[in-house]
Amino acid sequence: MLTETLEHLVRGIVDHPDDVTVRPRVQRNRNPRFGGRGETLEVRVNPDDLGRVIGRAGRTATALRTVLQALSGKDNLRIDFVDVDRHR
Amino acid sequence: MNETTEPEALSAETVPAAAEGNAETAAAGVDAHPETAAAGAETPGEAAPAGSDRVKRLEAEGDIAADYLEELLDIADLDGDLDMDVEGDRAAVSIVGDGLDVLVGADGEVLEALQELTRLAVFTQTGQRSRLMLDIGGYRQDLRKNLVALAREAGEEVQETGEAVKLSPMTPFERKVVHDAVAEMGLTSESDGLEPTRCVVVHPAR
Repeated sequence: MLTETLEHLVRGIVDHPDDVTVRPRVQRNRNPRFGGRGETLEVRVNPDDLGRVIGRAGRTATALRTVLQALSGKDNLRIDFVDVDRHR
Repeated sequence: MNETTEPEALSAETVPAAAEGNAETAAAGVDAHPETAAAGAETPGEAAPAGSDRVKRLEAEGDIAADYLEELLDIADLDGDLDMDVEGDRAAVSIVGDGLDVLVGADGEVLEALQELTRLAVFTQTGQRSRLMLDIGGYRQDLRKNLVALAREAGEEVQETGEAVKLSPMTPFERKVVHDAVAEMGLTSESDGLEPTRCVVVHPAR
């Protein structure tokens, strides 16, 4: 549900919605402050849209995290934003 | 009358201007917008010539916002109905229903985040920055009621004592609601101090 929600929220605010993918990733070696293992959602967008989803001073990224954390009921949910050209 | 709204309108205008041309600044102007919008609502006659185009544009904003939010509700499996309206010079969209607290959050922080994303969704489709107002579960409506009650109490105190009363720091939206409520009582008010500790001061009628 979270993955799908995030995908929808991001697709609605970018110019290239078809390039948006979200996938969950369980991270190891996480800061124990956050409870050791935490879930990370990795959002990939078109390079042209990266600025849009992050926003000025990270405002949009923060807004997305706020909504997703509220829906997940977890405060250790991480959201990473990368552009589609990376890690390929 | 103008004395109460003018200082707010001025400060509100400086925010978007300072960050012109950036879509993300719609967010930066969030706090400032309610006051300019409300100030505009006081003189609806001025906007009349282009009124129907303006209303159509705002209704279209509401439709885009409602589509965005409705799908969110579906995916998150939340029940809620969407109400769309045009208030003054902006679109107003409300998600109405019970069990929506999760979308409001502590002090409305999730609501503010969703409003910001919804404005961006509108911008993405229209290319125009939106000042759309989102309410969820009546949160803003309740906030407004509480603020009006607070403003009236302060106003009564001013009327009884003849002395000015300074209220706690408030957001621009909150201050605007208070200024309006105080003006209705025939009193004057102004904002004092700098964000984020800017306060409304209520004065006796002059």
